[in-house]
Amino acid sequence: MKRLFVVLTVLIVALAFASTIKIGAVLPLSDITGRQAANAMKLAVKEINEAGGVLGMPVELFIIDDEMKPEKGAAAIDRLATVEKVDFFVGGMSSGVHLAQIPILKKYQKITVWIGAASYKCEEAIGPDADWYFHLHPWDYLQGESYAHGWRAIIQKYPQVKIEKIFIAYEEGAFGTSSFKSYQEEFELAKKGTGVWAGLMKDLRGAPFKSAALGGGDYRAVLMQAKQYNPDLFIWAGYDADAIPILIQAKEIGFAPKLFVGAPPGWPADFGKNPLSHGVILYGMWAPALKDVSPIARHFWDAYVKEFNEEPATYFAPLGYTNIMFLIEGIKKAGSLDKAAIIKALREIEYDSPVGGVLKISPSRIIKNQGFRAQKILQWQNGVQHVIWPFEYQTAELIYPFPGWTGK
Amino acid sequence: MKRNFVGYIVLAIALFLIALLRPYAFFYGVQRGSLYGLIALPLALTLGIVGLLNLAHGEFLTLALYMTYLLFDKLSIDPLLSFVLTVPLLLLFGLLVYKLVIERSLKTHHLNLLLLTFGVSIVMVESLNIWWTSRPRNIYVPYASTSVSIFGVYVGGYEFLYTLAAFIVLAGLLLFLKKTRLGQATYAVGQNPRGAALVGINVKFVYAFVFSLAAGLVALAGALLSVRSSIFPHVGGPFTMKSFSLTAMAGLGNLPGIVLAGIVLGIAEEFVKSIPGYTGWADLVFFVVLIAAIVFRAFGRREG
Repeated sequence: MKRLFVVLTVLIVALAFASTIKIGAVLPLSDITGRQAANAMKLAVKEINEAGGVLGMPVELFIIDDEMKPEKGAAAIDRLATVEKVDFFVGGMSSGVHLAQIPILKKYQKITVWIGAASYKCEEAIGPDADWYFHLHPWDYLQGESYAHGWRAIIQKYPQVKIEKIFIAYEEGAFGTSSFKSYQEEFELAKKGTGVWAGLMKDLRGAPFKSAALGGGDYRAVLMQAKQYNPDLFIWAGYDADAIPILIQAKEIGFAPKLFVGAPPGWPADFGKNPLSHGVILYGMWAPALKDVSPIARHFWDAYVKEFNEEPATYFAPLGYTNIMFLIEGIKKAGSLDKAAIIKALREIEYDSPVGGVLKISPSRIIKNQGFRAQKILQWQNGVQHVIWPFEYQTAELIYPFPGWTGK
Repeated sequence: MKRNFVGYIVLAIALFLIALLRPYAFFYGVQRGSLYGLIALPLALTLGIVGLLNLAHGEFLTLALYMTYLLFDKLSIDPLLSFVLTVPLLLLFGLLVYKLVIERSLKTHHLNLLLLTFGVSIVMVESLNIWWTSRPRNIYVPYASTSVSIFGVYVGGYEFLYTLAAFIVLAGLLLFLKKTRLGQATYAVGQNPRGAALVGINVKFVYAFVFSLAAGLVALAGALLSVRSSIFPHVGGPFTMKSFSLTAMAGLGNLPGIVLAGIVLGIAEEFVKSIPGYTGWADLVFFVVLIAAIVFRAFGRREG
């Protein structure tokens, strides 16, 4: 009897350990986006396990660093599937890395909830048949469309705002050129009176620059071209390393368009403390100020700061948290680990995300399971990123025109 | 000789035309080119004069930028004054790298030095990445974005400091090499280290001094650049490539040629950037001018 009890106990313990929901994440850990996304995922897993896990099982998270290298990102998927034997894939940041991962993901066809990779090329590579693939980050073309919706709404609310002439200074790599290309496509449609920018964009110009992140950092030639064009809306699409030097050089040549927009994936440390940042508009999925208007954003902010003793500085932090929570909500709703049931559940749930907005799945151009569809229009005001649009999350009034450089 | 003279005349006419047609491109090119020259001069000193390869040259610049940032951020020391501290600090760091890495490989194949300094560059980048993360830091001082009027053309004034510094460093190095005993010894060690040792020159000291001096001069460039550039672990890396290119273009040991080559390449770059639709061709033009200069010099030498 005693022996039977011991055997049963061992079996129960073994079963308990075997019954773990394993999630495999691939992120660039040396970059702040990946590092904070990984932290946020750990936080989500901790909260879930403290609340008793899901379906009575604890959640286990495995994170592998892709080092922003496609070959490492692809190998990480293989390792997670064969060595850690995970049930789900999450994570993501770079489109280039993801393009290398897609064939491997297709090999395993496990449920994948991806928060990075905005390039439409990734959507083309995934194709229409991957019902197990959920993409949360807006595709690049969806972002472009959402800016048009945002500006249209802003013009209605602030009739003095004009965005007829647009100039885009874009970094010459894949990120910048694809951004400019998508604007060009929209402009062609707008000229025909169709597309989301119809009636908004009357003329478009652009010029590339070499990003400081890739050994460049001299933007004056491009800024001079922009100054001569005198746009209503000036956008630069580069990296965080370009943010302050581009402002310094714009000030130097006296270029102060009415709307000065920056569209990097992340901002440098202490950008807001720089006096030149006041009035700069940015596109982003999230702003720290959201915690003042959204309870879930407040919860995430406080929990993250308490856990890691640092503030979330990039939208990949709340997006990483959303990544895990959304998946777990789907598993809960499915009530089992059956793949078809979870896919169905993920398509049905509505998750109020700390990114700001309700996450709900709908088809995009090619894939069936697209999550967020819009970016937000934000503005740096006295060192704080404020939400200008969508108006339901607005945290400050728009400063227009851009205040320029006097006294800075 | 005659061929060289014609070449210089053609170059002068081209620069004059650019100054006339695109004055902004000319001034920006002079500024940017001077920066390239200023950063390349220390590399030209170690590589061209004493034959020490240093692939971590750009990472020394990165370290100098972080030191300047730290002094500004923690002690509010103006970047233009911080070189008083960063130059000796980087000089000592250069000496440390020399003692730990360079000295041990002096008598081995050049390839070892190449690999070792490449290793140093990786260690430096990754250490900075761990310490500071990849997030860029910036120093903002209002004087770094002021403008001046030159013949009615308003251009940024700050970057002319690069030009001033490049010529001061060049003059200082030429005076050191030609007028001091240590400078003469440096030339001797570069030409024939074994012979130099035979006549009583402390070869190891010369190598250590030149390597450390080069590191110190990089700190000066770092202090000037810090207010115009973002500071992140990979910021200096591309300058290694540019510095090697300038050294190749000017010819090993030709220090004045480094500054001239830098300015010519800077103007070529900015001229292309100023043409709408061709902005992205700047890198291509940089290397076309570089290859053309090397080929031109090679033919000239063969005919001579």
